[in-house]
Formats: sequence, C-alpha cells, structure tokens
Amino acid sequence: VNRFQLPVEHTKLPNGLQVVVAPDANAPVVTVGVYYKIGFRLEPQGRSGFAHLFEHMMFQGSANAPKMQHIKLINSSGGTLNGSTHYDVTNYYQAVPSNALERVLWLEADRMRALKVDDENLRNQRDVVKEEVRVNVLNQPYGGFPWLDLPPVAFRNWANAHNFYGDFTDLDAASLADVQSFFKTYYVPNNAVLLILGDVKPDEGFTLAKRHFADIPAGPAPKFADPAEPEQKEERRGDVLEKFGTLPAMAIGYTMPKRRTAEWHAMALLDQALHGGRAGRIHRDLVLEKQIAVEADGGIDDLFGYNGPTQMVTRILHKPEYSSEATLAAFDEVIREVQQKGIGSHELDQLKVKWRSDYYATLEGGAMPKYGLMHLLACFTLFDGEPQLVNSILEGFLAVVPQEIQSGAQKYLRNENRAIVFRKPEAAAKEAA
Amino acid sequence: MASRAAEVAVGVPALTPERSVTWPKRTKSRLANGLEIVLAESHSIPKFHGELFFRSGNAGVAHRAPALADLTATVLRTGTAKRTSRQIEEDLRSLGADLGTSAGADTSAISFAGLSEFAEPLLGLVNELAREASFPESEFERERRQKLEEVKLQRTQPGFLAGERLRKVLFGAHPYADVAPTPEQVAAYRRDDLLTIYRDFYTPENGLLLLVGDFDSAAMLAKIENVFGAWSGKKPAPPQTAAPANPRGRRVYLVHLPGSVQTQILAGSHAITRKHPDWVKLGLTNSLYGGAFNSRLVMNIREDKGYTYSPRSGVSPLRQHGYFSVSAAVRNDVVAASLTEIFYEMDRLRSLPVPEAELADAQNYLSGVFSMGVATQDGLLSQLSTVALNELPDDYLETYRTKVRALTPDDLLQTARKYLDSPNLQIVAVGDRAQIESQAALFGDLEVFDAQGNKLPA
Repeated sequence: VNRFQLPVEHTKLPNGLQVVVAPDANAPVVTVGVYYKIGFRLEPQGRSGFAHLFEHMMFQGSANAPKMQHIKLINSSGGTLNGSTHYDVTNYYQAVPSNALERVLWLEADRMRALKVDDENLRNQRDVVKEEVRVNVLNQPYGGFPWLDLPPVAFRNWANAHNFYGDFTDLDAASLADVQSFFKTYYVPNNAVLLILGDVKPDEGFTLAKRHFADIPAGPAPKFADPAEPEQKEERRGDVLEKFGTLPAMAIGYTMPKRRTAEWHAMALLDQALHGGRAGRIHRDLVLEKQIAVEADGGIDDLFGYNGPTQMVTRILHKPEYSSEATLAAFDEVIREVQQKGIGSHELDQLKVKWRSDYYATLEGGAMPKYGLMHLLACFTLFDGEPQLVNSILEGFLAVVPQEIQSGAQKYLRNENRAIVFRKPEAAAKEAA
Repeated sequence: MASRAAEVAVGVPALTPERSVTWPKRTKSRLANGLEIVLAESHSIPKFHGELFFRSGNAGVAHRAPALADLTATVLRTGTAKRTSRQIEEDLRSLGADLGTSAGADTSAISFAGLSEFAEPLLGLVNELAREASFPESEFERERRQKLEEVKLQRTQPGFLAGERLRKVLFGAHPYADVAPTPEQVAAYRRDDLLTIYRDFYTPENGLLLLVGDFDSAAMLAKIENVFGAWSGKKPAPPQTAAPANPRGRRVYLVHLPGSVQTQILAGSHAITRKHPDWVKLGLTNSLYGGAFNSRLVMNIREDKGYTYSPRSGVSPLRQHGYFSVSAAVRNDVVAASLTEIFYEMDRLRSLPVPEAELADAQNYLSGVFSMGVATQDGLLSQLSTVALNELPDDYLETYRTKVRALTPDDLLQTARKYLDSPNLQIVAVGDRAQIESQAALFGDLEVFDAQGNKLPA
C-alpha cells in the first residue's frame, strides 16, 4: 500500500502564535490560513450568531488596511479569499500566486493586531448576514435542515443547542462593544495558528511569519465554557414546519464518541458503511431497494474539525405515501442489522480503501487548493498540539477490526443516544388538521 | 462605491517577482476507433481524475422531451451485461473510486476519480458503462419515479425557478429554452428513449477521454488502448436548430412564490460562445462588473448598501449560444433599488472607460485565478476539458494570461457596449407578488407566472 507523506514543519512564536508550514513547489501557488480557536458553539449567550457575524467584521477593515482593502489587495494579486465559522474554529484563508505571500501575511497580521471597524460597518454586515440567512435558510425549501433543526432537540447545554446562524433579535442586539470585546478575548495570537502551504520554503515561511506577527502582543488565555452534555437517558423528538418543500423529511442524529479514541475511528468507518454514497447501506436500502425515500444521506460532519459533542446525522426525504413511522422503521432495520451482525471483513476492507482515497483527496483540494490540508493541520494544531497527525492519523482508521464496529453500533446507535426531527410540509399539515 | 470614498491601505509589501506557471505537457492521441484522448500528469496525490465526454446532450433530444439525456446518464450506472447495480457501487468502493454520470445541454459525461494503483480496473468499469450498460427495466422505473419527485421539488427552489424562466425567455423555441421536464413529460419517458440515446450518443467517434493525475502518460496510453481499443461506433448527426430570436427591449418576468421572505433576481441577455474571439474580453469585463468579490456590483450592493449576500454575474457558454447574466437574492423592499444599481453599474461600464489601475487589478485577478487550475488534479482537468470540448488552440492555457494583460480600457468599453446589453436585459424576479410587483413593474412590461410555469392574469 502506497503511504503518502507530506512534509510539515511547526514552530511557536514567543507570543504564542503557532506557525505551520507545508512546502510543495509543484505549482506557484501558496495557500495562507489563520485559524482562531473559537467557533459558534462557545459564542456569548444572548448573542446567537455572533461568531459568524464577527467573521464578516474581520473583512471590514484593520488599522492599515481600511474597509475593502483586504479583499481588493488579495483579488488584485491574483488570489481568492474567504472565511468560515465552524463549531469550534473560525478560519480566514486565501490562495494566491506565491509572489504575493508577504502581502497576504501583512494583511492577516494587520487584522490580528488591530481590527478597525465602526457602527456603519456593523449595520452593513448585519444586513448582509440577514440576507445570507434568508438565502440559505428562511427562503429555501429544507433550509437549515437538519444542521439548525437538530441541535435544539438533541442537546441540553446552550453551547450545543442554540441557533448558530443567529436569531435576528440577537443579531440586532449585537453592538460595536460586543465586536471589540470578542476580538480582545479570542482573537489573540496565543489562540490562533497561522498556516502557510504550497510554494514556500519552511525557513522563508517562518522568517516572514516572525517579521509580521511577532510583535502582536499575547492576551490572557481565553476562558472557554464547558460544552459537556449531561447524560442522555431517553430518545428525543421534535417537529419543524417546512414552509416550501413538498416531501416529508426527518433527520436522525446519534451522539458520537470523543475524537481520537479507538471508538471514534470505528464509528467513522461505520459512518462510511452507512452513508458512503450509493453503496452506503442507508441509501441502498431506503432509496434503491425499498424505494421509500427520495434522498437518504448524511454522516459525521467535519470529522476532524469538532472539539465537543457532535452527532452522526442521517437526513431523509421520503415519499408522502409512506408515513414517518414506516420510514423510521425501515431506517431502524438498517441500524438493527449492523448491531446484530456487524459488518464483514470484506466490506470493511472496501471501506478502508475508499477511506484512504478520500483522505488523499481531502489533502489536495477543497474550497481552494490545499484547503483540506489546511483545515486538518489547523485542527490538529489547535486541538491536539500535533500537526504531524496529518501523516499518521490514517493508521488508526486502517487498524479498525469488525468487532469494534459492531460494538460501536451497539453502544452509540441506541435510541437513548439519539434525537429525531420531523420536518413536516405545511401544506400536508394543513390537510391533516 | 457610490456613497463612501474608498480609503487606501498604507505600507503594503510589494509583490516579489512572479514565478512562471508551467502547465504540464499534454499527451494527445486518437484511437483508430475515433476516441480522442488527452492526458496530463499531476503528481500531487497518488490518485487520478478522469472524464469520458460524449459531445451530445439534452439539447440533442429536446424534440422528444427535456432532460432525457440526463435520465439516460442516471440509469447508465445501474447495470451492465456483467454487473448489477449493487456490484457496480461496491466495486467502485473497493477501488477507492468516485464516479458520476450526468448530461448537460451539449454533452453527456462519465466522471471518475480513483487511486492510481487501481487505474486499470477503474478504466475497465468506465468502459463497461460506456459500452455494455443494460438499462434494467426496474432500475429505469425507479429512477423515473425519483425524477418525478425531483421535478416537483425543484419548483420550490427560487434559484431553479429563476434560471428556468430566464432560459425560456432568452431561447424561446430553441432546445436551450427547456432545462427541466414537466411531471407529465417524465411520466411519458420510455426506456426505449434511453436505449436510443445510449446507442447514438455513447460512441468512440463522439467521445473524448481526459485523464489527469499521478501516472506515466506513455504507460497510461497503452492501458487506454488496451481497454477502449475494440470499441466502435459513429458520431451522430449534429442537431439542426434555428437560431433563437434575441429578445429586444427590457421586459420583466415575475415568478410568484407565495410567502417568500426574499426576492431572487436574475437578469440576462444573449452573449457569445467560448470560441468567439471576444471571449477573453468579455471574461475580463464580467470580472470587473460582478464576477469577483472585488467587483463593482459586489462593492455596491453588498459592501456599501447591504441589499444582498451573494450578488454575482457570469457568462454561460453553451455550445451554440452563450448568455450573460447577473443575479442577487435581495431583501423584498429593495428590489427596485437593487435593479437600479445593477443597471447603473452596467451603464457605467458602457459609458466610461475603466481607470488604468482598476483594469490592472482585474487583469491580475483573472490571470492569477486562471493559473490556480494548475494546483489540483480536478482543477487541471476542468481547464483541459474547456480547451478540448471547445476546440480551442493547443496553446490556450499558455497564452491566456498574455491575452488578458494586453486588453485596454477601450477594449472593455467596446465589450461592455456589445454584451452588457442593458437596454435589452430580460429581468426575472422570483418572490411574493404582493410584495414586489409594483417595484418590478418599474423596469419594463411585466408578465407573472406561478411556480408551475402557468401564466397568471395581470
């Protein structure tokens, strides 16, 4: 078996900023990311959606690069950029021709050192974010299903259960003082990692990182609320009305083991057995064979990128002639089979080949060149302090044996460990009433 | 930006000397049976990406029903003379492979990616799908019923409804007008239609096989010859279709979606194909207008006014006729205000030369982003397929940046006047009629449709 290894070097500046360089001279392109260890899970209570709104504010101007200059300077250097807010991290990234490397580092350092925004910027981005929520959630069939629907049913700790995109009343209440306080608390170099990937030599990367970031003062280590959940003892269910769509839908989420445990490796492969495309057991059974569902897919979202309670979620849109209970019964049969019979070693071998192939693809691409590699390196650095895991983590998955999968299914795919949301089309609900 | 003067950044490091982009050597070949081959090595990961195109798609069978080539592609993967649907999916998994089958207006394609160590068996499976698909009756029935649910679901999506209406408005009686079938048309699909399409379209003379990845080109070419050499089949006659009329004068088409809390705007006009000599000019003009984050439209209606999250413009290069379009999902109370700015930015590019500095920024953007295609296997595959499917010159990738950088403000002025056709722009707005009709009607004669495509009384 061809084991693919990537050169990765890592250092920490005196202010606590971690720097990771992964050189690859194949193309004259460099990808630069800055990850901060704060996501929407631990945003302030009463300020739902704030971590994401704040991400938008990071593009609104810094001390030496006023509003729009960051975007203008990246685009006019031949590059693209974006940011995204996750459960436990927020990232800012750009891919540029490698002759713009120092410029990008200067820009990222400038906004880490001194964000400079005003009330007008905040009003503007609050409006933009509301249109983002409308286009992705409020004005779309099955918008936010199930990523916004399931957490409030599944979890009891506010951190895991609130509206991550934000209630509009909370977005309206957000002030410039909140922006400044969030920035001071979480956007300190000692809560971040800088990643430089692609056409760069490690020495050059470290030298430039020091030149631009070393004088940014460290802040007090951020205090994080505890995201732990109380033990779940019963199946949880909830309903959400579907305003536009015509098909009844449901999502079933099982809470997963802690990351980087042996059970986590096994559940990740079981996830592939259940949700791996058209060969996955759930799609095969519900869509292809029994033909109850029109769509049946899902999985553990962002397996490497969460650092607190998370679920493996199945999302089903089914034909109206089948009841929710009949659909759920068919789903339960798939789960029962894997609990009772496990999966064979032949199937497990197939899953491992596919896993390895998918992992390589993650390292190469994504939203821009090397996005996936950047994401893994960032999470392994911030959560584990070990960016080199990118070269070894595959082994844990390839070592899983069938018995671990069956035990995992019995332990984690229990009704008392799950939550179900039924998304019911409004038209059908009216008829029934 | 209209209302706020832009400030400049202070102390920005200069760019260092540019490193040249080296596009990998392409190995081009044609098998005796007519199958065209393009290979390029890219050793970033131990995988490869491929695409087997056929130069016929939905437009080629539009006289029978819309999207028939698409259903043909869907059912294609559900059985061959040697393997059942389930075997195909499990075999793919055991090769670490992904495979997709689809058809657009002008092409049908089998796309795939897998581990280099299993290249030969994956090519073998692709070959089997291209030549020995069996279209099992039960699989056809299931996919047809699935399609029925899909077409109903699509009619609840604002983005789909806007795109569907614009294509009808721009292309009239031409096959490009119909992007989706009605439920009645799906109910009338026959397995025989699929077999006919499969026999006519999926032939080596009509085919193009592209592979990019971690392999040795000479050895790969030998494998391809071995796998695909014995295949035979002629190219189908190209469909004869009259050119669509180019709609004159601004008109507005409102698609009424009750309860919408936002309005999807999509406006467009006829433009050009990829082969047209103005293509690069229009690409640059578009990137200044609304094709980049840093473009005028995004700066205006997002960053200055906050009307929308996702404004953008683009050129859709269908094989026979391209079209230009601009879209934004906006707050219901700013539909008129957004359209005003959409036209303002278009007319500004049509009236005033672009300042040199802004032009240089846009040239850098477009040439930089173009070159990023070299960094990933699928990025490179996509660039190579553009060149091959449009029969662009062999040095297209190598000379693109030079062409972009040679353009002048006057070139852009002429291009905007030709193709950012604001006097004849056709406007689609998908939203709640009661909230937006009076705003939309300010921009031209207005017709209203429901989500099923029926015209509603004025």
